[in-house]
Amino acid sequence: MSINKYAYEAIKAVVGEANITDDPADCMGYRSGPGGYESGTGYERVMTRLPGAICMPRTTKDVQEIVKICARYDLAFVPYSTGFYGPRSHPHLDDELIIDMKRMRDFEIDAEHFFITVQPGVVYSQIQQECFEHGAYVVVGGGGAQTSAVANLLNDGWSPLSFRVGLPQRRILGLEMVMPDGEIVKFGSLADSDDPFWGEGIGPDLRGILRGYTGLLGCLGICTKMAIKTLPFQPVVPEMQGVSPDTSLKLPEKRVKWINFTMPSLKSIEDAHIMLGNAEVGGAITKVPTFWRAIAKASCKEEFWDLWLKETEESVANFFLVRVMIIGFTSEEQFDYDYNVLTDIITELGGKERRTKPSDESWFKNADSAGMWLMTGSYVSVDYVMDSFDQAFKQGPNYRDLKDKYTPPLMPDCKDLGWFQSCEMGHLGYYEYLIYWDQREDTNGMDQFYVDSAKMNVRNGAYPALLSSHQPLYLTGPAYGPNYHNWILGLKKIFDPKWLSHPPLPLAHDEFCRRAAWMHDIADWPVPDEFPYPDSLKKKMAAAHGDI
Amino acid sequence: MDILKDLAEIAGSENVISDQAVLDSYSSDLSLVRGGAPEAAVRPGTTEEVSKIVKWANANNIPLIPVSSPVHLYGSTVPKQGGVVVDMRRFDEIFSIDKTNRCVRFGAGVSWKKLTDTLAAEGMRVVMPLAPRGDRSVLTDHLEREVITNTVYDYGEPVQSMEVVFPDGSIFRTGSASAPKFPYAYAKGANPAGPGLDFYRLLQGAQGTMGIVTWMSLKIQSIPLIDKIKFAPFDDLDYVEKFLFRIMPRRIGQEFVILNNVDFAAILADTREEFEELRKTLPKYTLAFIISGLIRRPEEKIAYEEHFLSDVIRHEYPDIRLTDGMPGFPQAADKLKQILRNPWPAEKTYWKAVPAGNYQDLFFIARPERVPEFIDIVRDVASKNGYPFESIGIYEQPIEHNRACQLEFTFMYDGSADGADAEIYDIYYKMFKALHAAGAYFTRPYGDMGGELYQKAASYKAALMKVKNLFDPNNIMNPGNVCF
Repeated sequence: MSINKYAYEAIKAVVGEANITDDPADCMGYRSGPGGYESGTGYERVMTRLPGAICMPRTTKDVQEIVKICARYDLAFVPYSTGFYGPRSHPHLDDELIIDMKRMRDFEIDAEHFFITVQPGVVYSQIQQECFEHGAYVVVGGGGAQTSAVANLLNDGWSPLSFRVGLPQRRILGLEMVMPDGEIVKFGSLADSDDPFWGEGIGPDLRGILRGYTGLLGCLGICTKMAIKTLPFQPVVPEMQGVSPDTSLKLPEKRVKWINFTMPSLKSIEDAHIMLGNAEVGGAITKVPTFWRAIAKASCKEEFWDLWLKETEESVANFFLVRVMIIGFTSEEQFDYDYNVLTDIITELGGKERRTKPSDESWFKNADSAGMWLMTGSYVSVDYVMDSFDQAFKQGPNYRDLKDKYTPPLMPDCKDLGWFQSCEMGHLGYYEYLIYWDQREDTNGMDQFYVDSAKMNVRNGAYPALLSSHQPLYLTGPAYGPNYHNWILGLKKIFDPKWLSHPPLPLAHDEFCRRAAWMHDIADWPVPDEFPYPDSLKKKMAAAHGDI
Repeated sequence: MDILKDLAEIAGSENVISDQAVLDSYSSDLSLVRGGAPEAAVRPGTTEEVSKIVKWANANNIPLIPVSSPVHLYGSTVPKQGGVVVDMRRFDEIFSIDKTNRCVRFGAGVSWKKLTDTLAAEGMRVVMPLAPRGDRSVLTDHLEREVITNTVYDYGEPVQSMEVVFPDGSIFRTGSASAPKFPYAYAKGANPAGPGLDFYRLLQGAQGTMGIVTWMSLKIQSIPLIDKIKFAPFDDLDYVEKFLFRIMPRRIGQEFVILNNVDFAAILADTREEFEELRKTLPKYTLAFIISGLIRRPEEKIAYEEHFLSDVIRHEYPDIRLTDGMPGFPQAADKLKQILRNPWPAEKTYWKAVPAGNYQDLFFIARPERVPEFIDIVRDVASKNGYPFESIGIYEQPIEHNRACQLEFTFMYDGSADGADAEIYDIYYKMFKALHAAGAYFTRPYGDMGGELYQKAASYKAALMKVKNLFDPNNIMNPGNVCF
């Protein structure tokens, strides 16, 4: 298996012999699976393929030339930075080219104006450390500090720190895209100058086509450079402590502090989220899944199970803990003010402060994603919903109840209600639900749960995040907007008429549902007889996956 | 085709305007942009009526010009190719105020006065631009990306969801309001992003070329319990910029503005005579900002902010003279505090019109430390063209903890004089070109600016044209604006 040899030679001329390969061993290294995220799903088995070749460009010009060569040879490609998104980040056709952005690691910080300019190979770990040293910080998404910041901001980009910092699309400033036809489009102030400090476009803001609530996983081109807004932090640089992999950040006393509070009820946790936002204090507030506490304590899978199996539905249902961070952005006096207000709120709600480690293991430079699946081998955040508190608080029981139907193969979690937090100073309630499974078992139920939860959200009028990347577009499209899918497919047609940029996204999950027999009963929404692909893609789909 | 009859069938004859005097009033606004009168104006009362009007316009290739306010500032509502004005003033309902999720949802015709009065009765407020006209549409100002004076909230943008009638006539809700069954859904419209694409980004800054927005939701905040305004008069802009770089990232204060003596005098004065007197006596520049005690422990919050400020000034910026009032101007503190927290009363002459009756604004986004350089450019162009620099209003609006700013120059003039408009336009456009050449970033291409701006941003324009063509293949939505 390989790509067209003339295309290969042309790309080799661009990136140099050392930066392109079609060696089967190298291609195997880019298979989907080892990451844990969505590992062993039906989607992975049905939809992903080994790449035909991998190339590693260094510059925007390299990327542009590669994309133009792909257009010339009708060669499908997948932009790939750190590959966190499991099977979604991998080829879905035979003989695709992976354009691995890891060599693109230019990094520039403008500390006074609170932004950095990076290429897609730069990961959050580097960024956060540089930010700390300049009195700033960024949100490191749940994917971990080892993920590409560009990829993360194009697709997700939040954490409990979003309580202050806000939605990810607001932090994207000037940027540069190589569109699927090889044209370079510069966004924001980069369109007008070499200075990327401002994100809004001249007139309508084309950042609107980069992503929605979440992103399009590279199916509308490749971002080669992005200026990212950072946020003012506090002046003391947190110190790393411990020995890898058991490291954490020692938090500066009187400047940054996590505090755990035992609360009397779930309602009091919900109220704490609302009241903290209304009082406009704090740096983060979150209620995490109970089993995360066991993950955090365990050093291996066996230890996790030893801990977790001691829990019962009753113990989980009666465990009420809320975790709050306060940050002395202004001064130690402001830190004290926040603490006093927080204490007032917690006291009014009947909560009690617990002794909490003066360190951060999870959110400033987290590597949670590397340990999140240790207890079963596979996991996924089946969805994120971000809207009001009303919605966030209702989602827990809904997901819990639906999950019962699919347990097993999903890991029993004592009916835990999942994770919620507050974003944008209490203007947004956030809910996330994670599921775990053993990929050696029959995982059809996991695939079905994914879609069944999307259907549940449509029924309830809940607003899920992964509308364009992880759910069937013909299921969610007519429901939301309505008909947002028509605009995405329209953009795909005008910017990528040959569907070369990560095909068949944004219809990949639709393809999965019509090709996986175990999805047919649940896939009861109307779909067109033919998907709107060009003939060339229809042939490639048939070659890779067979005829429908 | 009988336009009036067709529109009357959709919106009712009482909501179709054919009176020539009224139609003529749409052919100009407070800007220097001039166009022709529309063929008719229609005032729909429902989203469905808007949708029918848009479909009718598509079928008949008739341009539509959406307007929401009774007063227009930038020329984008002046018909460039004839057509029908779609006047949204009947969409004047405030649908909901949600104090738990702290958001408000309201129609396109809701004015700043109505919204702020209604919220104040609930103990809530919205962040706002500097002294928006009380009768202006709140929704329009947010679509136009008017820069807000409050810089402390990291999220920056208060806009949440919207409902829009796209140029094909389809009704669409952006953000989490896109959820099925909204507003009776789980989702309350608090999230602006998505679905699938960030549609709201395409609607903002579009000058009505991408669709007609019928309602919007915004974040709201509790009204602080204590507000204290601080002033710092100064001459040295470089020094004050450095001071702002020092304090604003520390999340001090709420609203911040820097005004030169011309703008500050215009804001404080009630008459031309008073303006002239104030202009002579006010400092060259004044930094003004409000610190607030919020709903919990308000005194403690004020205290830590004041302690921080006094420490920084004592140890690092001794030349900053920070005071609670303007020496020699006893009314200034109360008056400016009111102005920073309220819309400008519709019945009162707008502050920029006080000095001479007419005005023209020129504004752009910049790095704050470049402000002195841009002011020098304006001084230089004014000098070369015999224009009195000392009559130009200068307003710097820090943005996002002062990592950027909007710099605005206001030319206040008597438009009744022969040739005054042309003279001002000439100097305005020369300054625009000089500033743009020097790196000023103009994000809102009104009037003739677009040609110059998009020439430099060719790839952006090409992509924008593709997107516009997808949404509006017949180019019926407000043609002649932006680059369409």
